[in-house]
Amino acid sequence: MSSMFSPLAIPASAGIGLRSPHISEMLTRRPSAGWLEVHAENYMGDGAGVEALERLRQIYPLSVHGVGLSLGSAQGLDRDHLERLRKVCDRFEPDLVSEHLAWSIADGAYLNDLLPLRYDEEALAIVARNVETVQETLNRRVLIENLSAYVAFADSSMSEAEFLAELVVRTGCGLLLDVNNVQVSAHNLQYDAKAFIDALPAEAIGEIHLAGHATNHVGADTVLIDDHGSRVPPVVWALYQHAIDRLGPRPTLIEWDTDVPILDVLLGEAMWADMLTASIMFNRKQAARREQTTKTRATPIHLSVHSETTTSMPVLAAFAAARCARPCMSVALVSIEEEYHAAA
Amino acid sequence: MLPLEHLQTTMARSVLAMEPVAAANMLTAGKADPLARLRIYQNNTRSSLTAALMAVFPVTVRLVDERFFRFAASEFIRRHPPVESRLARYGAGFPRFLKTIDTLSDMPIVAETARLEWAIAEALDTASLPPRSLAEYDSTDLGLSPDIQLQPSLRLIVSHWSILSVWMAHQQETAVDENISWARRPERVALWRSGNYVRLFLLDRASFAFWHSLKHGFGLENATGRALALDPAFDLVSALVRLFRDRLVTDVRVASNFPSN
Repeated sequence: MSSMFSPLAIPASAGIGLRSPHISEMLTRRPSAGWLEVHAENYMGDGAGVEALERLRQIYPLSVHGVGLSLGSAQGLDRDHLERLRKVCDRFEPDLVSEHLAWSIADGAYLNDLLPLRYDEEALAIVARNVETVQETLNRRVLIENLSAYVAFADSSMSEAEFLAELVVRTGCGLLLDVNNVQVSAHNLQYDAKAFIDALPAEAIGEIHLAGHATNHVGADTVLIDDHGSRVPPVVWALYQHAIDRLGPRPTLIEWDTDVPILDVLLGEAMWADMLTASIMFNRKQAARREQTTKTRATPIHLSVHSETTTSMPVLAAFAAARCARPCMSVALVSIEEEYHAAA
Repeated sequence: MLPLEHLQTTMARSVLAMEPVAAANMLTAGKADPLARLRIYQNNTRSSLTAALMAVFPVTVRLVDERFFRFAASEFIRRHPPVESRLARYGAGFPRFLKTIDTLSDMPIVAETARLEWAIAEALDTASLPPRSLAEYDSTDLGLSPDIQLQPSLRLIVSHWSILSVWMAHQQETAVDENISWARRPERVALWRSGNYVRLFLLDRASFAFWHSLKHGFGLENATGRALALDPAFDLVSALVRLFRDRLVTDVRVASNFPSN
């Protein structure tokens, strides 16, 4: 099949998740955004959003992120859904395709949530078989995302990180490191978030997700809820810094799914991710230069290298938001005698 | 230890609250109560699917008020969870489900309006093909009864209740005078996607029959015959001009065999 789009590679910089309230503004303003990611399931029909994405795909590199394939389902993959995912990939020619290490379908029902697996050999064999089927069908490598979880299974025989590492070995898939998910699961299930990141095979990580979460207090339990409904919190930025320190720059997505703010807030968060990465890489270069200078000169010259400035993280996003403090979308209904319109 | 498929079935039934929650000894949650944590999944499933239904049926929500809608949606989700992960397809059975709720038995307009809203949702997720103009067929011999293909998003609904009037009355934020809106008055509605919008029209009986026949591939001759049977004054030329003017015609071709049904 001939390509409809010129190939656009996703850069190792920040992109944003495309959400329906922002589509018209993205089309008219065409703001600077490294790349876009969409949920595959939202583009399996033939509505106006699909037509808009075809136009945006001409401008921005694209990642397709599945949320409904249920790779962990013991009953196997829904072949019809996989075929729909293949058509989405054929239609939009994304540079990256990803899914979750989770299950959502059992007993004939789709739960519209991502549930954790029991991490053991049986599940590994099932997920590996499903991932191989997906990769063969799409004829490409897919990235598998770590999960945010509220429970774990007592009979798990390995950690989620060990499970993912072995999945990479068996299938050749890549990984999508969701840093917010790491924070949420590590807090809720009480393990070390940084150790989780360190246990993943660095070379397999092809994308990072960043998002906000909610903190709920239920009795004595403080549980983090992965709601993607706020700015990336400081604790997640800190974990992101740890990840970039270890991995180097990676395509990084700002996800926001509930209480979606104006577009500039997302762009501001993306800009902050880029600046943080640039700052880490700059400091690393400076440190390398210092080391080299120390080695080559008898008398060391002390360069004035500022330690990383602690900026209040939402400031950039707030600036961006203030510039665009106007209503996001306003659709007027037209009424001409018997004719009426319903907005999409 | 349960096989994974059995484990997932047990979990899924717990999440949908179809069965008591899964055995606590299967789950861990640090120092927290794993069964309390399992309720987060129950809540996520119910609230996200309820939100999906509320987005598709906004006028129905206003007709019954939000609390009742949430109750009805919860019951629907528990009894009829989605069978696939395309949420755009979830809700087709909701209007029929509303008809079975005793509390709504004296308010048939609710389920009927939901039926209209589902048709709108379907149309919005359907392709909008390039329309054809009459001039394109000036030099084409289409025979005596050509097939006229209409936009695939076209939906035709007939109801004993004034569903479009009710739907329109609820497009504004202001309170609706229910006495005016809830009239038992048959309405025939045609709707289809046009860009980001759905266009909705009221049709008379003859026009509805004409459009219905064309949509189902019965050809122009059959469609005209049915319209004239209902209204001897049916104006075929005006009807055809209107179809083209409304950008509903996607193709015209020489008739093949009519469908058998």
